[in-house]
Amino acid sequence: MKTSKPLKVLVQTTFAAAVATVMLGGLASTTLFSAETNSVAAPPKTDPAPASTNSAAVNAKAPEAEQPVLKHQLTGAELYSMHCNRCHPERYPTERTAAQWKTIMLHMQVRANIPGDQARLILQYLQDNSGR
Amino acid sequence: MKKTMKTLCGILRLMLAGCVIGLALPSRVAAEVSDADFNALKETVQKLGEQVQNLQQSNIVQQQTHAQDLQQIQQLQQKLTETQQIATNAEQKSIEASMTQPMPRQPIDEATVNHNFMMMGDAEFQYAKIAGQHGAFLQADFAPIFLYRGGDNILFEAGFDTTLANNAPGSGGYTTTFNLSFAQLDYVMNDYMTFAGGELILPLGTYTERGAGWLNKIPDNPLAVDALLPGTGLGVELRGGIPVGNAGESLNYEVYVVNGPGSSDTTGTSGAAGNLDLGGNVGVLSDGSTVANLHGHPSGGARLGFFVPFKPHYDLEVGVSGQSGEWDDAGNHLWSAGVLDAALHLGASFEAKGEYIATRYGSDDIGTHYQQGWFVQAGYKLAGLDLELPLINNLEIVGRYDSLHGIYDSADNAFDFKTRRYTVGYVYYFTNTLLFEGDYEFLNSNDPSQADQFILQLSLGF
Repeated sequence: MKTSKPLKVLVQTTFAAAVATVMLGGLASTTLFSAETNSVAAPPKTDPAPASTNSAAVNAKAPEAEQPVLKHQLTGAELYSMHCNRCHPERYPTERTAAQWKTIMLHMQVRANIPGDQARLILQYLQDNSGR
Repeated sequence: MKKTMKTLCGILRLMLAGCVIGLALPSRVAAEVSDADFNALKETVQKLGEQVQNLQQSNIVQQQTHAQDLQQIQQLQQKLTETQQIATNAEQKSIEASMTQPMPRQPIDEATVNHNFMMMGDAEFQYAKIAGQHGAFLQADFAPIFLYRGGDNILFEAGFDTTLANNAPGSGGYTTTFNLSFAQLDYVMNDYMTFAGGELILPLGTYTERGAGWLNKIPDNPLAVDALLPGTGLGVELRGGIPVGNAGESLNYEVYVVNGPGSSDTTGTSGAAGNLDLGGNVGVLSDGSTVANLHGHPSGGARLGFFVPFKPHYDLEVGVSGQSGEWDDAGNHLWSAGVLDAALHLGASFEAKGEYIATRYGSDDIGTHYQQGWFVQAGYKLAGLDLELPLINNLEIVGRYDSLHGIYDSADNAFDFKTRRYTVGYVYYFTNTLLFEGDYEFLNSNDPSQADQFILQLSLGF
């Protein structure tokens, strides 16, 4: 691991340039293609990265018509996608039972400062699609 | 002769019949009635006839009504018979069902169960190669979080951190450390406010609350977070989120009071000797005789944040937070910290976040110490490129720049300790909770003990 300083600087610069290129390219593609997406991200063409999002599952399973909505029409599935992704990869609703989701949502309501009405909508979405 | 006798008898019979008729017929004179009596009698007969006719009509109506009643009674009897038959059949089926299968258990809606205990958390192990040292499996870490929900608005949560590490050279074996990361009782007072008490994770920035184990995309914490902030504190807190818009925007706040940092040698002398104890003041000293919160006044802090979601997976969050309080036993000097934080998500694939941290505290010997540091990190999931390559789709490229500037030396107007670190790495997602992380850290520091390192980490969130 002992490297000469010029070589070290070269490696650092190369890494930084590569990372910056990938990120900028990805960000640009995200921004460009985001116009095609609706309010909930569209499922990818191929199998998505497991941790990238489970928005495909959201699209497939969210019982939009059955969700009670706020006056601005945000559903539990949308609020779930908004809040959970702030801190960690989204967890699939089927990973927990309805009772477990109730406990977890109380934890998350406190930890992420989620307003109570929004937390209830997210909880209902998770429980409606939970593993029984 | 015989024929003559018959003829004679017939004649006699006729004569006898004539005599009888003559005697029986009344005389015409004796049967005479006046016209008035006849008319009265006739009128009476007519009236009687009308009455008889009326009675007959009434009788006909009554007979019709009776017939209808009989018909209704007959229908009701038929319905009753059918109902009894249905009830008999149902009873028979019920009996048959109960005889053929056991009584089913009453279903319980789990969501209505009022109490629940569960475990979450994460586990990691690391391999590290530090420049100038042998590579080694560095540590194994198990960090469970226990949640107990006692009703709809009461939650107790406690996190532990168990790590395994080699003992120092000269003493063989290894040591397992077991720490209480946090333990707090939460009472959700209403939709917008929660009371929390206990060993709290302090909301100075957001990293301390969101950087544990598998949540962090880089195995190491930012230098400034580890070096400058207390992390936790024993006290009470009010926190919550208030909706401020129609698209999910919310104002987040935390206000807390904790014991705060202390002095490791009970004096207020220079932090250069490590006398500032950020994790101090948690209760009774280990000898059990002295209260540790020696300066007598708690430390107060707060954070105010604004979360703006544009649509699912697109959001911006910014916040400002700070804490201040006495740290030396005499209560002559304050320790204060201020943090600016921001986080940005552009789609499910891109995330960037960063914090700027500055602290200052007074001392008896060399005056006020200033320290500061900051970090910015970003990650991009290659699934966002929509490539038809499964392995690539599971990969996220991450990078971070962070710095730490240590104690300010007023003599030469410079920070005594300067470290800048550049980190590049990746996260490979086996699942949404099983992560294989790797990164290389380039360090530029005036501290010779700081060296580049390469770290691999397998992390599981549960």
